[in-house]
Parts: sequence; structure tokens; C-alpha cells
Amino acid sequence: MSELRLEAKDLPVSRTTTLGNKTGSWKYIRPVYHDGVAPCNQGCPVGIDIEGYMNLLREDRVAEALDLLLRENPLPAVTGRVCDHPCEAACNRKELDGAVAIHAVERALGDLALERPAVAMPVTHQEQVAVVGSGPAGLACAYHLNRLGYAATVFEAAAEPGGMLRLGIPEYRLPRLVLDRQLEHLRQQGINFVCNTRIGLDLDWSVLSWFDAVFIGTGAHLPRPLGLAGEDNPAVRQGLDFLADVNGGARPDVGHAVIVIGGGNTAMDCARTARRLGAEVTVVYRRTRAEMPAIREEIADAEREGVRFEYLASPVAFGEDSEGVVDVAFERMVLGEPDASGRRAPVPTGERFQHAVDLVLLATGENASLESLPPEVKVGKGSIEADRLGATGHGTYFAGGDVAGHDRTVAHALGAGKRAAIGIDRRLRAQRGEAVPELLPADLTALSLGPQGNLSMTRWRHDDPVRRVAPLLEVVGPEQLNLTHFEPAERHPDHKPNGASATTFAEVNLGLTRTEALAEARRCCNCGVCNECELCLIYCADVAIRRGTNGDRFEIDLEYCKGCGVCAEECPRGAIGMTREGL
Amino acid sequence: MKKVMVGNHAVSWGVKLARAEVISAYPITPQTQVVEQLSEMCASGELPARFIKVESEHSAMAACLGASAVGARAFTATSSQGLALMHELLHWAAGARHPIVMANINRALGPGWNIWTEQTDSLSQRDTGWIQLYCETNQEVLDTTIMAFRLAEQVNLPVMVVLDAFYLSHTAEPVDIPEAALVDAFLPKRHAKLKLDTAEPRTFNSLVPPSAYMEMRYALQQAMREARTAFDEVEEAWEQGCGRRYGAVEAYYADDADLVLVTSGTVTSTARHVVDQRRAAGERVGLVKVKMFRPFPTETLRDALAGVDRVAVLDRNLSPGRSGIFAEELRAALYDVPPDDRPQVYGYVLGLGGRDIRPDTIEAVIERTRSADVPLHEDLWVGVEV
Repeated sequence: MSELRLEAKDLPVSRTTTLGNKTGSWKYIRPVYHDGVAPCNQGCPVGIDIEGYMNLLREDRVAEALDLLLRENPLPAVTGRVCDHPCEAACNRKELDGAVAIHAVERALGDLALERPAVAMPVTHQEQVAVVGSGPAGLACAYHLNRLGYAATVFEAAAEPGGMLRLGIPEYRLPRLVLDRQLEHLRQQGINFVCNTRIGLDLDWSVLSWFDAVFIGTGAHLPRPLGLAGEDNPAVRQGLDFLADVNGGARPDVGHAVIVIGGGNTAMDCARTARRLGAEVTVVYRRTRAEMPAIREEIADAEREGVRFEYLASPVAFGEDSEGVVDVAFERMVLGEPDASGRRAPVPTGERFQHAVDLVLLATGENASLESLPPEVKVGKGSIEADRLGATGHGTYFAGGDVAGHDRTVAHALGAGKRAAIGIDRRLRAQRGEAVPELLPADLTALSLGPQGNLSMTRWRHDDPVRRVAPLLEVVGPEQLNLTHFEPAERHPDHKPNGASATTFAEVNLGLTRTEALAEARRCCNCGVCNECELCLIYCADVAIRRGTNGDRFEIDLEYCKGCGVCAEECPRGAIGMTREGL
Repeated sequence: MKKVMVGNHAVSWGVKLARAEVISAYPITPQTQVVEQLSEMCASGELPARFIKVESEHSAMAACLGASAVGARAFTATSSQGLALMHELLHWAAGARHPIVMANINRALGPGWNIWTEQTDSLSQRDTGWIQLYCETNQEVLDTTIMAFRLAEQVNLPVMVVLDAFYLSHTAEPVDIPEAALVDAFLPKRHAKLKLDTAEPRTFNSLVPPSAYMEMRYALQQAMREARTAFDEVEEAWEQGCGRRYGAVEAYYADDADLVLVTSGTVTSTARHVVDQRRAAGERVGLVKVKMFRPFPTETLRDALAGVDRVAVLDRNLSPGRSGIFAEELRAALYDVPPDDRPQVYGYVLGLGGRDIRPDTIEAVIERTRSADVPLHEDLWVGVEV
């Protein structure tokens, strides 16, 4: 009953195959598969291959995704909670239906990573490295050096490691259990921690002389005085001191009314912490909400928890303490021309007003502690002078993080620690007589996730780049995507308040479930990197694209590809380009 | 298993049982439920077909052409303006000998904008080379849909299954759903002899010069001739499986009738009712239902109408400037019958744009036919306010 009655003579069908018509001779340009850099990867100060792990998650290859994430980021359960996620601001998907909730996916992955046993790293090199300061910069440096085969010892002034992660960030944002488990993983990996030891104060830097390299990541936690009358009033406290007390378990009496001065994350942390201790809290900031440097979710959470905001006001004096009450005098500001930060600057108006409160918390920034540094290290304006790989003027000493003047975020500190690890590895290898890259700016670019991106440990170690056959340094912008090929899919709500947050120190954001995180990962466009969606294969009018002989990626049959460019045009993620080369 | 369902869903069930592999369609009232249910069947996995969303009926047919070209069993459904938009590709489907099956829900063409039943949309596609099969009940719709695939693949021609808007499309009736195994035995997987194959690529449907074009069209016409007998074979096989057949033409009390009503689609059921009553009163009135419009079952109709004096054709359609289209086709089919045996054909135009055709409408048609020795015009209009 089949269609055997139909004969070729009944239809206009060629008698021979069309394979003799080698349309490849028509072309003057040809398509080429290349792998660009996704903008999230460039946007990440840590230098995580976000697109890469999203690509693996798309295929439910969770363990491999975790491995890839951990190649670059030692603390995903931490950054997944406290990072200000510039990756999402860079995400191309916001042109379609909202950036991928990378931050929330990272947190889910970070928690999954903590459920796996830590893998002890074999020490393969003789050289020993000391890391001074166990904040994110120091932890990152020690972590990467340890994974590169070095024994790393971290010295910490406080009783427990973590630096600003432990002292500065409240529990409701970063539960101690998560931080402790994350640090336990680093310990089990092989990092040695020496706490209660202030290098430069309790012990002289010379005790580290038998280490082959020393990384200084002592951070910035010195109060920056405002220079105002009455600042020495005991009811006027440094915000960081207050946070360190509460984060250490203290529950001080804050009275009824608290004023927090500042607009950064420390200000939000002070305000929300004081709120949890029962106070009516007002944040006073000299610019407006739009200029506040704090993470947007933190501002929104503070507002939701009942913190009040007084914008365009700056303190001028703290009045006499009468029965524990401080009179704070403020001056009204207006916004003027943009300043060096690009934000509109506050300009005094002369108008004054007063608030009487029980406690004032100052959160207007901190200075790096530069007094107790080794004398060989060159100190510039407010920070150690170090190059991109953390090298100071002195060969043994490297530095990174807040003390070296980097942007004061956890992510930037982690990124600086990683770069210093590369710098130290390169120096020690050179001392061993190995050939090492020159590390001229061009060489650094070759290691970077895009021209503005951080360095990639994968590239430094020549690890498997995962799915990338021809890595390019170009960042793929939205104009290089073909967004019509993506099904609209709403971003998962990544900030889910627990509902009881204003009264307890329980973690506020509930995060995504594993299932939600995997679904969110499927929203990733995999910008610039072929994920074998096969659209090129379908669109090629000459059937000149086929699966590679080993089943991996695609091959272009140049005998038949006529260079029409439809594959490059239709590729949803800009992973195909057209070139004149090789013709 | 019996299930109460609307005609549109009878189409969907037929397509599911036929294991169509590619479905592409664009929604239009009153067809929408057909593809709505098919898309759900595809989404749930109960019908493992590729459902291709498109931006127009023209593209829907183009997608079916592509699917058929690589040997897949393809289906689409449309109505009225949607069918008109497909027109160019309807020729292509037949000319390239693609056994695509389409359900067309008869709907009047605008303007005036009208969603109700009328056959002018499908009959306008008379010369595209599609086999056309009209249905009277939802059971017939389901059965015809399955049979259409086998017929199409046997003769390499596309088949249009036609059903009335609302009277069938949106009216629920009990429908017997045949067992899947029975349908699988009746309709195995499509085996295309000539198809696009990347392993051995060939050029299809390129320029055909005058020296070859006529032979190609002759082959098409031969396939249409074959389709007439192939349909009877297909029905025979279907009847063996599930006990139902409809006939390209069905004669009902026509043997000894002096007056026969010629109908298609749901108006047949109303006419049956009138014939039953007249027969009960001793009147020799009969009915001939035309299921197959292309290929036109000329011989079968001549046989069915042999010895009849007067034939009243009920045309829910119009070829403007001429008459009802079934009447016109019938007149031509009967012209070669010797004059003494040739019935007088009365062509009635009625029910356009979904206007109701009730038993008393048909009673009036019978009276008018009996009262005039010859038809006054080629087109006799019923119930028109002028």
C-alpha cells in the first residue's frame, strides 16, 4: 500500500544526486565556530565562568557545574548570599525578559557544594606561602595556591577566620553555619589556619621570613573619623564595632531610637541589626536613594523591615549627652553636579535640623590599617601599592583586597586574591627555573574573561575550557544574539523573604530550591558559546553542517557551504562568525 | 470505546489515531478546537508528533509540504479565509504529490464577515488537485480522517476532509473511537519512495518545460482516477476492521424514486428525515448523498440516478454568475446520459452563510420541483428576501 506507484517520471526529480554541484565554490566568506565571552563572565569581579556552569546545568550536569564554579570561586555559598552581583547587570537576557538570577543560582550551587565532602589537595610544591588576613582576599589567595599544589598558612588576628565575612556581615544575610561549613571545607582541603595572631603587632613580620611568599590581605576596618564635635560621645559608635559585637553574639541595649549615618552596605547592616534589637531606626544619608552604594535588595529589605530613611542630610555635630540621649544636628543637602564617583554630589544648604536619639552608628567608610605593615611594602594613598597580580615593590610580598585599594566588595576581594595567587605561582615557578609567561598587559588579556574581566584560573592552569573549542576574548553583546530564538521565561523570584525577618537573626532570603535553580539556569542564553542547539544544522540550506565525527559540536563541509551566512545570522548566541580566512 | 465529542475533536482523535508525525496549523474560527486539542496531545506526549506554530495558513501548508517532502505524515486544519490564503500551496501539494491530509471546516467567506457554515471555501479549491471528502456526522468525520491518510498515501495526493461549521464542528455526538491497534493495522507508517534525503540529495520540482509538463499533469489526472477506486478499497478495508463505511456516493431510497434530493454535508441528515416522512406517506422520494467531490464520482452518480425523473440539488454554496456548484457538476456528469434516461436537474441555492435549512425548507424544495416541468433558472434560490 506504500507509495510505490509514484514514479520519478511523475515528478520533476533530478536523475542524479545534487552532490556533483559543489556550491562551496561560490563563497567568498565562510562561517567559523568561535566561543566568545559572555558578558556575565566579564562582569564578575571574581572571574567565574558563569556561562560555563549554566551550560552544564542546562544538561543537569550539576557535579561538573560545581567543579567549574569552584575552579574560580572558593566561597560560592558566601557570594551567593552577599555579592552585589554585577554579573546580572551585565546579563544580555535583560533585553528579553529579565537578567538570569545568577546570584540565586550561585547560592543554590554553593549550598550543594557544601553537601559534598571536601577534597584534600595534594601538596606538590616545596614552597610555602603565608597569607595574612582571613577575609575573602586572603581566603581566595590561599585557596587557589593550595589548589595549585602549595602549602598555605593563613594568619588571622581574630579568634576565628573569616575577616569581614564574620565580623561585618550579619547572620541574617550570611548564617554563621554556612560560613563555618565553608571554612571547614577550606580546612579540609588543606589550608592551615593560625588564629589569634596579629602579624606586625603580636609577632614581627620577620617570623614569616621562612615563607617563600607572603600575601597581605588585612582589609580595611579602621574607623574613618568624621571630625565633628561630640564624636567621642559613647553613644556615638562606629558601625563596624557595633556589628562585630552583635555578630559575635552580643545583644547590646540600643535604646528606642537609633540613627545610622551612611548609605553603604555597612549602614544597611547596622540599621537592620539595630532594628532586630528593638529600636526605631533612621538611616541618614547625604545623597538620595538613587546614589546609595548599598545593594538594592538590602535597601528594599531595610525599608520592608521598617527602617526609615532621611535623605539629603549630613551630620554637623553630636550634642551633649543628657541622660543617655544624643542630640544630633544635621544640615540639609541638595544634589549638585556629579563628582568623581559619577554620582551627583551633596551640596550644603545651611538649613539645620536636629534629632534626639539613644544611639548613633557611623557607617561612612573605613580605612585600611597601614601602620603595622612590613617596612619593605610601598604604601600609597590610603593603601598598599600593588600591581594587577598583587606584586608589591618587594618580591616576597603580595597584597590584595581592601588593603590594596580594590573596590570594597567581597567579590573584588576574591578576585584580587585569585590574581595574587597567579602572581605568586608565576614567581615561584620562575624561581624554580620554569618558563613562565611574561605577563605583559597583552598576556594578562589572554588570561582574562573579556578585556575588562578578571583573570581565569582555568586559563592560567590550561584546564579543560568546557565546551569551548575556539575561545575568543570578545564579549558578546545583545546585538550579537538572535533573541527571537529564545522562548520568553520569567525570571524566578530570587529574593524570598522568610516573613519573620524583622525580629530574628534567621536568614532572611530563603533562596531557590535545587529544581528552581536548575530551571533558572535554563534561562541562560549561553552568550557566545555553542551549546549544540542545532539551529545552524537546521537552517543550513545546503545541509553543509553536520555533527562532528566524534559526535561533538559541528563540522562545516566547505565543499558545499556557499557562505550565505544564514547559520551565523540565526545562531541564537553569536557563536558563529563569518571570516575570509582559510579560503 | 464511545465518547461524546464535537466534530472538531473527532478530527483530532482521527489524526491522533493516524499517528500524524507533523502538525502545523494557524487558528481560525471554527477550526481552532481541532489544533487546540492536537497541540495538547502533542504537549502531553500522547501524540508524539512535532507541532509547528506558524504565522499564517500559507506557512502552515508550507510546513506540511516540508514535512511531507522528507516522508513524514503531515496534517493541518483550517477554514474559509485561511484556506483561501493557502491556495497557492494547495496546487503545490497536489502537483508535488504530497499525501497531506487537511481538515477544512466549511465556513462562508467574507465579506460580509461570517463564521457560519457554507461550502464555497472548499469548493473554490476544486481545481487544485486535492481529493475532497464531505462528512455528515462526527463519526464519519473521525473515520474519514483516518481513511484519508491511507487514501492519500496510496495515490500520492492530498486529501481534504470537509465538515460543516458548528453543525458538526461544535456539536457533540457520541463517537466510537476505534482501537489503536486496529488503526495501526489499517494504516501502517508512511513509506515514501521519493523523498528528500540528505544522504542522496536530489533536486525536486525544478523547471519543467512544455515538452514534459503535460505528462506530469496526465500522471496527476491518472492518480485522481485511481483515487476513485482506491477510495472504495480503503472503505472496504475500514469496514472489515470496524464495520462502518459511507460510500463515495450513498443512495437512500433512490432505486424507485421519481424525485431524488442530492445533498452533501449535514443537510443530508435533515433531508433523510424529510424522505422518511414522505416515504411513510407513500411518496417515491429518495436521497443521494455525495461524499466525494474530487475525484467526481461521475459513474456512480449516473448509476444512482438512473431512472429518476427529477433531481433537486441542495447547494449550500454558490459560484457567482453560474449556480450552485454540486448542481453544476451534476449537470455536466449527466449530459452524456441518453436524453430519454437523463433526469431533469433542479439546482437550489440555500443555507448560505449558515442560514438554517429546516425540514420545511426541504419540503418547499420538493414542492417547487414537482410543480415545474423544467427548472426556470440554473440557480433556484430558496428563502431569499429581495
